[in-house]
Amino acid sequence: MIFQLEAEGEIEGKDLIKEIIASQHSLFGDIGSAKNRLHLISFDGRQGILRFHHKHMDQTRATLASIHSIQGTRAALQAKGVSGTIKSATEKYLPRLCKINGDCDRRRIELKEVSGCIIRTQGLEVDLCPDDSEWTRGSDTRYLGLTSFDLCGGHEDADGTADGL
Amino acid sequence: MSYFECLRAYPEGSSSASRMALKAKSLGYGGIIICNTAPGNLFRPEAAERIRGIEVAIGAEVMAKDVKSLRSRITSLRPRYHLLLIRAATEELVRTASEDPNVDVLIPSYSSRRPLGIAAARAAKLNQVAIGFDLGPFFRLSGRHRSRWLESLGRNLQLARKFDLRLLLTVGARSHLDLRTPRDIIALAEVMGFEHQEACQALSLAGDIMALNRRCWPSPGVELL
Repeated sequence: MIFQLEAEGEIEGKDLIKEIIASQHSLFGDIGSAKNRLHLISFDGRQGILRFHHKHMDQTRATLASIHSIQGTRAALQAKGVSGTIKSATEKYLPRLCKINGDCDRRRIELKEVSGCIIRTQGLEVDLCPDDSEWTRGSDTRYLGLTSFDLCGGHEDADGTADGL
Repeated sequence: MSYFECLRAYPEGSSSASRMALKAKSLGYGGIIICNTAPGNLFRPEAAERIRGIEVAIGAEVMAKDVKSLRSRITSLRPRYHLLLIRAATEELVRTASEDPNVDVLIPSYSSRRPLGIAAARAAKLNQVAIGFDLGPFFRLSGRHRSRWLESLGRNLQLARKFDLRLLLTVGARSHLDLRTPRDIIALAEVMGFEHQEACQALSLAGDIMALNRRCWPSPGVELL
């Protein structure tokens, strides 16, 4: 299975597999885990290959979906596709997932409803560290998730760039 | 089948409506319904409409402390929004919500011992109120708290099946990181005791309710064409 990780910080492979195994154990117990031995074949910080027993695909999907955070960092795992061999899985699903490094900039957003420091931008997506931590209360996240559509024409002094930043 | 997700956006969640729409589109949803408790204060709803290929609708969620305020909130929100979701914490509120035909979806609390009673289930069937299953606590809880929550969910599911109630599945997302692919949610629901077809229908029910409520109904059973 090819999966993709989205997290608020950097996640290491060993922490990831530890969390996957813990999640599987919590959901299916010792006997369920023994029937479906999970093995992380590769992980580059954003996407990876996970080996599982082909008769337990739904269980593996449920295991990945139930992961909420890894080592205290909010994260979400998304299964991109399943294939019988590593070669075909890589050919089918990995080329489409070009690795994008988020730009790390420290520009500020000053709007009436929201203000803070931009942590990373990736395509249309903008992650913002809010000035007031109360704005993310109840959702266990550090950053606010916005898009550049939210920021277009937001401030009279904005420089008028296409992405609204 | 087009899947829909009921979620909360900024300022009640930590992601804006457009970010939620962008993420939901990439995960394969047909649409999202933003159900904030104060939908009037939503941050830049017009930005979400600029995301193409996904339907973005605004509904409302009601959380009330007592029966009187619940009824007044339902009366005030019903004409303005096409989807009304009630999150009821006590048995009394569950009963009141299930007896009101203006309610679309009722999400009973899974913290109390008997969240959905037989009387409430029968009333929900009579008034066509769907029963919502919020899988959010599943991700946050662990150990015995999670198993108790699962037990409560199983009991509600059993009762909903007995009275042939319509089911709705949601993950109660407050951030784009809470969203999961429909296939993952269906797999998770099957682990919890849902049938495959049941889970698929539950995930698309919100869209069906929205489509029905968008039509003009002057009185029960009468449609203005």
